Amino acid sequence: MSKFYAVKTTANQERIVANLLEMYARKNRTNVYSILEPKELKGYVIVEAESYEDVVKTVKGLSKVKGVVKREISTKEIDHFLAPKKIVEKIKEGDMVEIVYGPFKGESAIVRKVDEVKNEITIELINAVVPIPVTVKADHARKVERR
Amino acid sequence: MTELACKKCKYINADTSICKNCGSSEFTKEWFGYVIILDPEKSEIAKKLGIKVPGKFALRVD
Repeated sequence: MSKFYAVKTTANQERIVANLLEMYARKNRTNVYSILEPKELKGYVIVEAESYEDVVKTVKGLSKVKGVVKREISTKEIDHFLAPKKIVEKIKEGDMVEIVYGPFKGESAIVRKVDEVKNEITIELINAVVPIPVTVKADHARKVERR
Repeated sequence: MTELACKKCKYINADTSICKNCGSSEFTKEWFGYVIILDPEKSEIAKKLGIKVPGKFALRVD
């Protein structure tokens, strides 16, 4: 029966660590079955292995790895990572968002329209003198709070 | 090197026009989540996602 463990990584290096782990697991023939890097989880990758020792053996000497969390993760805790929701599904009209990408990066805005099919939201920037509706990709916004 | 996910099987391909897993030619660069399957027979995640071959897969493709 496989078990799940969290491997702590340097921030924003999760993908690189996952690829390195794959390489090391194949090279050292450790009992690692899969490596999961969910978008929502920053600074960690989840490793599915036969035992804690197998994970420790695989990460040994790997750069960008800060350690292995000893506590085993249950399957229930992982399930929601396997079916990630679209960001647009989490945003509703009237929500306050922060723009995290593009020319309006760092600006706060209020959502006026949500287009789930196109994965787009129409927003009004809070600091703009004249409120002009702007349509941006939902992935470029981060929900701040519900109005 | 651009990593593109196959729209049909979510397999992540690099610099190719045909998916190495299913042969499809429909790709997207809008993919999220990343899972590497090393042993599909023993992996619980592979079973849950219905993956039968080892490799790199996206969790969601748009």
